[in-house]
Formats: sequence, C-alpha cells, structure tokens
Amino acid sequence: MLKISQFCRSAIGGAILAIVWFPAGRAGAQAPASPAPTVQAREDTSSIPRLPDGHPDLQGLWHNDSGYQAMMKNMRSGKGLAVALADFHAEGFPLPLPYLPEADKVREYRKLHDVYHDPEGHCHVPGVPRETEQPSSLMPFQIIQDEKYVVILYEYVHDVRIIPEDGSPHPKRYWAWDGDSRGHWEGDTFVVDVSNFNGRSWLDMEGNFVDENEHVVERYTMTSRDAIDYTALVEDPTVFIKPWTIHLTLKRNPAKDQIVYYDCHEGERDVQHYTQSEGNKANKHE
Amino acid sequence: MNKRSFSMLMMATLLAASGSVVALGRNAHAFSPPKLSDGTPDFRGIWQAQTSAYLNIEGGARARKSVVVDPPDGKIPYLPEALKQRAKNYQNRATTDPADNCFQAGVPRTVFLPKPFQIVQSVGHLAIVYTDDHAYRMVLPSSIPHDDGIDFFMGDSRGHWEGNTLVVDVTDLGDQTWLDAAGNYHSDQLHVVERYTMLGPDTMKYEATMDDSMVYARRWTIRVLLYRDKTPGARIEEDECIDGEDGVWHHVSPTDPRALRRHDFKAELAQAAKSQ
Repeated sequence: MLKISQFCRSAIGGAILAIVWFPAGRAGAQAPASPAPTVQAREDTSSIPRLPDGHPDLQGLWHNDSGYQAMMKNMRSGKGLAVALADFHAEGFPLPLPYLPEADKVREYRKLHDVYHDPEGHCHVPGVPRETEQPSSLMPFQIIQDEKYVVILYEYVHDVRIIPEDGSPHPKRYWAWDGDSRGHWEGDTFVVDVSNFNGRSWLDMEGNFVDENEHVVERYTMTSRDAIDYTALVEDPTVFIKPWTIHLTLKRNPAKDQIVYYDCHEGERDVQHYTQSEGNKANKHE
Repeated sequence: MNKRSFSMLMMATLLAASGSVVALGRNAHAFSPPKLSDGTPDFRGIWQAQTSAYLNIEGGARARKSVVVDPPDGKIPYLPEALKQRAKNYQNRATTDPADNCFQAGVPRTVFLPKPFQIVQSVGHLAIVYTDDHAYRMVLPSSIPHDDGIDFFMGDSRGHWEGNTLVVDVTDLGDQTWLDAAGNYHSDQLHVVERYTMLGPDTMKYEATMDDSMVYARRWTIRVLLYRDKTPGARIEEDECIDGEDGVWHHVSPTDPRALRRHDFKAELAQAAKSQ
C-alpha cells in the first residue's frame, strides 16, 4: 500500500504527487488559457449561485488557475519538472516587489544563500496570500460557507482558515502564520481583512518575504458559476515602499474532484536537496 | 445509618447510575437537535471532550476511568502479541509517541484531545476542523466510495445520518498514529465507525467502534461526551509546531510571545556577512 505520509515528507514529493493526479483531476482544466476576467465581466450576475441570505455561494472545490497556467507554460518551455513546479509566479504577481533598500538586501541574501529557511520547506503553513498564490495552483481548496462563516480548507499542508463575518475586530496578543482573518461582504464581493501575522512567512522559494507588520485585504468576487476573481492587496510598511496587489483567477474543479489529504513533516529527506550555498546547515556540519 | 436506609441509598445510587447509562444509550434520540434548512441536524459549533481518555483510553493512574464501554471490562481486546507491543509502546512512550513529532493524531485520538474542534456545516457539506496540528476531515457523503489504496493520518471519512445521529465510516488510516498517550495502538488495517448524537443543546455523545484484525481479537467501542464551547467569540486557534533549539518540535500557541518574530534586518544582514 502506498504510504502517502512517507511519500509526502518532502515538498517536492508532495508536488510530484499532486501532478501525478492531474490527468484524472484536471480534465476540465486542459482548455487553453483564457484572459483573466475583467471587472466589467462580472456585470452579468444571473449565473452566480446564491445562498438563502442572498450572498454569492462560494462553496465548492477551487484552484488558482492563473498559477496553474503559469506552471503549464513553464512545463511547455522545456524547463525541468522540479523547476517548472517550483519556480513560477502567476502573471498577476507583480514582480519585482517594491522593497525598501534594506529589506531588498535581506531578500537577496535569502534567495542566494538561505532558501533552506523557506518555511514551506519545513512544512509550515504558507500564510496569506502565499497559500492561494503558490501551492494552490497545484492543489485545490474547498470553501464551505454559512451565514456566519466562510471556511477555506486548503489541501496544501491541511491549512484551514475559518473566517467570521460578524464584524468582530482582530484579537490582541495573537501572532499566527496565517494571521487573523475577518470577513465582510461589499455587495457581491467577500472582503477579508488579514492581520496578526507572526513575521515568519516567505512569499515564495525565491526569498520574497513579509514581516510581522504585514496586512492583507483579499477580495473574492464570483464572475460566473465556475470562476472567482481574486485580488490581495499586501501592505507592509517595514518591508515595502508601497502596497502592491496580486490578481488571480480561481476556477472550480470538476465535480468528481475531492481534497486528497496532504501530510508533511520536517523533511529530513529534503535536506539533501539543499546545498551549502543555499544555507543548509545540516550539510555544513557533515 | 441503619441497614434499611443504607440499602435505600444503595438502591437510589444504582438507579441513578443506571439512569445515566440509559440516558447515554438507548434514550439518547429523545433530544431533537436544531436543523439546517434541508432538515439535516445542525451540529455546527466548537466542541471539546472533557475526559482523561487522551492519557489512557483504558483509564488507570492519572486517567481515572476507562472509556471503553464494550467489552464491558473496559479493556481493549488485544491479541496476545499486540498486547506485548502495547507494553513496549508504553515503556518507550516518552520518545516514540507519534503525536510528539507534531504528527496529526489520527482517529479517534484527535476527537478526545483536550483541545477544541469545530464542526463546519452547510447544506450538503460537513467538515471537522481540529485545533491540534490544524488537522481537518472532510466528511463526504457515504454515496462517494472511499479513496482506497492511500493511507492518511486522519483517514478517509464518509458520513450519513441515521435519524439524528451522524455515522462516519473511517478507513485508510495509517499505522503511524496511536490511540492515546499510553501506547494503545492500531495497525493500518484499522476501520473506525463513529457515531455523533446530540443529547442536549450543548452536549454530544461520541462513540467509536474500532475493528482491526491485525491487533484486536474483536471489535470494541469507546464512548465519551463532547461539550459545546459557549464562550462568546470562541475560535479555533492556529496550532503550528516550531523546531526548537533542542532539535525537537514544539507546539507554540499564537498567543505565546515566542510565536512572534520581530524583524531585525540589520542583525540579519550582519549575521549574513559573518557567515559568508
């Protein structure tokens, strides 16, 4: 019997596992990339499912289609599988990010010499918006919604966000990888204010990062039954000169798809993938 | 106290005791839980067991009472060889309990940990989100077959309603989880059937029947009570482990100041220059 828990010990293993499943799970995603829907495209809201309270019904299994398309483009360009899986951003990710000078030096150092410390390689939850932008282009997430909460259950690292809509404020003395999410509706758009980060999250495997002063405003707008327009405004006054925005299209997975549980543990097998120059202390001690 | 009043007292105690057993058992369906708009029982909320079963299912020194209700002696019906393995597990528990690696605790162990979990539900959907290691389970309808062939820490759950009782069939559990902190264990052949029944607005009966012919001589069942967390604004807090300086992973609460890492770019760059 295949032991997913063993196979998934490394992030790479998990990613490969995900890609192996694609032929079955992604039948509907093989169509050529369509341009990202514009704000105007959401004027016809008649096809959007709604809950009894009138809000758009976001429930279902979704994936970051913009990231998926970027990954497929990478694959087609002939880069190796590992590179194609790891080294990409969706087009809506505004590289290069507007760093303050000192923070940019930190980013550069982390990229060149310290990727070993990317928390994702150590199985930590990726934080916001990395959870939506990076791994979810490989792995889907489930939304369950009622009149009080929108709950997002990510396949990746079994990360969960339970987002209340009761107008309650962020807590004090709470510092989390995923921060603290509070949502509200602005018309048909679900807006999530995310604060209370713990200052440990990176944005990718390239050294891009945020610190404890990160603040995110996410906007989820259904443009049709099977598409959500997603933006995340990221501000962090100690890292960036100015706020910046990610723009992605999330698409609904085929009806037969379901979450496949993802297990990840501090990867003693992953250590070998990092060289000394990447900051692998384990190798230095050998 | 004379003989007669003593026997009256005994009688009353016995009656009360048997009454509570009945309340937990056959008459449990008397309470009619609130319903979702499609008539499905509404189990939404934050729940937590208040039991020492997480220490030892069979009870004992620190864990007072066995939660095993079948067999009636409160003992897990291990096969002889498995009993030896359990003894070994107990002896080495300080270093070999899988939960100490911050692994997800599995089913049913996660359910009766001293940490709350939230039942998330809407028409057609049910998921259970645990505090411990941010584990969650999607309880898909029984009409969708199990995802056989792959093992998961939290197994693969399929649910259906029998009256007001949620029955969850759990397969695809691995052999890297234990049942408690005392070394009680199972193999990857474990099959669990859970039954969730609300006894009142804020109380839930939880029963789990374990079947694993590699380890147990027969099926056996535990029963614990779950209580609703009614604290205003109660939430499931993030639970991540951080590798400590001792090389061991530790749960660090997001309310613990050690969870926060304040940026210090000058120090980071100075450290970087030194290590070049």
